[in-house]
Amino acid sequence: MANRVAICAVAQTKFEACKRDVRTQGLLWEVVKDVRAQTGLDFGPGGIAGAVTVSDDVFDARTISDGAVTDLVGAHFGSEEKVAADGAQGVYYAAATVLSGHHDVVLLAGHCKESQPASRNMVTHLAFDPFYTRPVGLDYLCAAALQAQAYMARSGVSETQLAEVVVRARQWAARNPVAQETAAVTREEVLASPMIADPIREKFMYPVSDGAIAMILASETHARRLTDKPVWITGLGNCYDSFFLGERDLAGNFALERAAQRAYAMAGVSAPETAFDLAEIADQYAHQLPQYAEGLGLCPEGCGGRWLDEGGPDRQRVNRSGGMIAGNPLILGGLARVAEAVIQLRDEAGERQVAHAQRAVAQGATGPAGQLQTVVVLER
Amino acid sequence: MAEETSVPERIVSRQVLAIPQRFSTGPVMGRFLRELRDHKRIMANKCPKCGRHQLPPREVCAVCHVEATGWEELPPEGAIRDFDVVYYASPDPLTGETRQVPYVLCWVDLDGTQGDAPLWHLLNVENLAEVRRGVRVRVVFADERHGTTEDIRHFEIIREEASPGAGTGAES
Amino acid sequence: MSKNRNAAIIGSGMSEFSSHREDVNQPEMIHEAVIEALRDADIALEDVDCLLHGNMELFEMVHQPDMWHVLGDGARGKSGLRLTTGGTTGITLACAADNLVASGLHDVVLAIGFEKLQEGHTTGGITNMADPLWGRSLQTGALTGTGAQKVIDEFGEERAKLAAMKYRTIMDEHAMRNEKAHRRLRLERQYIKETADNSPPLVGELRMIHMCSQSDGACAVVFASEEKVRALGANPAWIVDHETVHREETMVFGSMLSTQRAAAERLFARAGIANPRGDIDVFEMYDPSAWWGVDWLRDFLLLEGDEHLKMIENDEIVLDGPFPVNPSGGVIASNPIGATALVRVAEAAMQVRGTAGAHQVSKPVRRALASGFGGTLWTVLMLLSKEKPERRVNTHG
Repeated sequence: MANRVAICAVAQTKFEACKRDVRTQGLLWEVVKDVRAQTGLDFGPGGIAGAVTVSDDVFDARTISDGAVTDLVGAHFGSEEKVAADGAQGVYYAAATVLSGHHDVVLLAGHCKESQPASRNMVTHLAFDPFYTRPVGLDYLCAAALQAQAYMARSGVSETQLAEVVVRARQWAARNPVAQETAAVTREEVLASPMIADPIREKFMYPVSDGAIAMILASETHARRLTDKPVWITGLGNCYDSFFLGERDLAGNFALERAAQRAYAMAGVSAPETAFDLAEIADQYAHQLPQYAEGLGLCPEGCGGRWLDEGGPDRQRVNRSGGMIAGNPLILGGLARVAEAVIQLRDEAGERQVAHAQRAVAQGATGPAGQLQTVVVLER
Repeated sequence: MAEETSVPERIVSRQVLAIPQRFSTGPVMGRFLRELRDHKRIMANKCPKCGRHQLPPREVCAVCHVEATGWEELPPEGAIRDFDVVYYASPDPLTGETRQVPYVLCWVDLDGTQGDAPLWHLLNVENLAEVRRGVRVRVVFADERHGTTEDIRHFEIIREEASPGAGTGAES
Repeated sequence: MSKNRNAAIIGSGMSEFSSHREDVNQPEMIHEAVIEALRDADIALEDVDCLLHGNMELFEMVHQPDMWHVLGDGARGKSGLRLTTGGTTGITLACAADNLVASGLHDVVLAIGFEKLQEGHTTGGITNMADPLWGRSLQTGALTGTGAQKVIDEFGEERAKLAAMKYRTIMDEHAMRNEKAHRRLRLERQYIKETADNSPPLVGELRMIHMCSQSDGACAVVFASEEKVRALGANPAWIVDHETVHREETMVFGSMLSTQRAAAERLFARAGIANPRGDIDVFEMYDPSAWWGVDWLRDFLLLEGDEHLKMIENDEIVLDGPFPVNPSGGVIASNPIGATALVRVAEAAMQVRGTAGAHQVSKPVRRALASGFGGTLWTVLMLLSKEKPERRVNTHG
């Protein structure tokens, strides 16, 4: 591949349960303004050539949700294309627009207010087919619960281990200024939280969250002009699994393994257990931290429980951001993971900084029980 | 066989799908709606760079890529720039009820507006032949106002005998 | 920076288009288009390494429909992306396919646009594109009479109305030669006036006969890298370039700048097209109504005055004419919205590849143009060519 692409700036709002004082446009503008200030870029010739946005018509309750933000992303008589999936897919596509040679400098900007609809589950319920899986009441929470049951049964991961995942996530989230759930919790408090969808307790799931994220991606020549700390996207991979949950191996990682293989092949990573200085996993639910760590090859298949017990998350510096379980909107979970990886590789992570971080892996998931998986390898 | 030539019944599953929403208005649109509700004032915001008005107010000027920080009250009168006489009865997505037709929509350049920022609303008119570009209209506010754009009930045509203080920015 | 590598369209497929595809569900309808596209490209599903998917969720009220549709498109185990930009979705998918192939990330990309409009309320769904805080109580989907009024104001009622109906009739004549077209009305030129007068008015001078259809349908297009085109011995329609021009969210008519003209000016400047009518052989335009079709012809071809009306009046845009527009019958004939703009690209590619059958234009096609329309008067343009393009230096930053 002839061209290279780097992330040159990142901005995130603080993630909060309900940003009632600002509409989505105000939310997105905060981060777009920030990355423009970081790079000194304006829109148009010689500046930001196009925008890739991330939003969701159903969450926004708006047909063509990107129509609400064209003025904010420089697309009034300019280019804007919307990725309607997890934001890591936005990174994938924005990188492609640069690698292709079509754009030199691209704005990637995503927003979501999960607090706007009456229920997040009412939104994801609509992802199921109208005839067979909607009538049984499935939504992404229920799908994740089925995934958790299958995974815990196969890997032997216990509820107590999952409680420790949450306790640790809060400890790191407290050191991340944009994280939502930063209050310390004890294992006992987690285990005493209400059962929502067996085996998922309230504190095993990511909270309802509002926020926005923006990034600037650029070709090599432009990246070096825009920043002295470009973070290179060296690996990209994604993969779909099948739709019906009964046809899938819910305890396994069919899609994630293939997404990771593709990203690792591109980045030249052969031993993922030791290849990365940090990893960011989109743990919408606590059990997904060990499960997706297996899928990413951070630990052997079926060994997620032992990995937790032996301090794998600390040893491999997983989710120092606090992770998705500390709070990101569904469609920004993977984008927030990439954002944290960039911040770490730029040595800007403050008291959660991984020393001498050179290479990171970030993962995002879309769909029921992670049907579509995205993996991004980043290097300084 | 006879069965093979008959078309099997195609079952259609009818579902009504709705998710209640709570939309934040934010400081910009929120101010516009508050002024409408509390003072029957039409407030446009304004780009500090190019000076164009935005109606409804929006956070950023799309042309200049800067925050539209200025505010100006526009008079509730102006001239029709464009209009639609609607005969097709579509559902109002806010209520689900089918609209009564015909009705008239118009884009009105309120007097003194800078740039392309016509106010878009219903025109209450009996005689459709009266609806033309350039016709002077005024805003009729709702008696009960709730902080929505329906606080403007509609426009009405200004009759010559009743045009006190018509604005100076009318189209020539 | 220059384009990293060339990409070409090597096959396309469409489901049956109809107002009510109640004989199939969504994945089944998509499957029809996918199978036909793979056959046309003479490849197997195994040869595809990335799928693109797009439509508008609120038409059918399915969230992240690419998840369910894996059942019909075969995406399990493959890479994929979902992109949506309103009416332009289909051509945005084509731009994305070009970018993904050109980037080197993927060798063979299958782009799928679909809509099953009868499963929801189309005009209600479009109306929901208005900001929830203003406009939803006012907007009537994509219906407006301002486009008609603009042409009438400029050219007088009689000439304008005749031009719109002539355009409409030509589109129907084209649709009659396209077996995939949804609406084939057999309109007759001698009854143009009566046909218009007897058609129910929608908004102002926009009547039912002028307006695009509401269709169920899916379209799939196969994109491949230069290396793959060679290896497969495929018949390619090369992608020269594409341009996306969106606008802010307010709908302001009249004095507004035209995204159609802006997109054409930018694209033609980069592609070295000085005389669009001479340098381009056929145009597949996303024409939501006859009125907009008439009006936009001038902007897309960078014409002035009444040249566009003369093109219609003089039969220049007919299938066998010097500048055929919409040999497929266009959007007025078939409009499954999320697929519609991809159908434009597919039809343009068919003309370049010489595979359009009964609606293949009679002149040789070296270059074809396809347009998309969506959002608040957004435009996307894509230029295709028979000859492999030089990988030029990118001058648009």
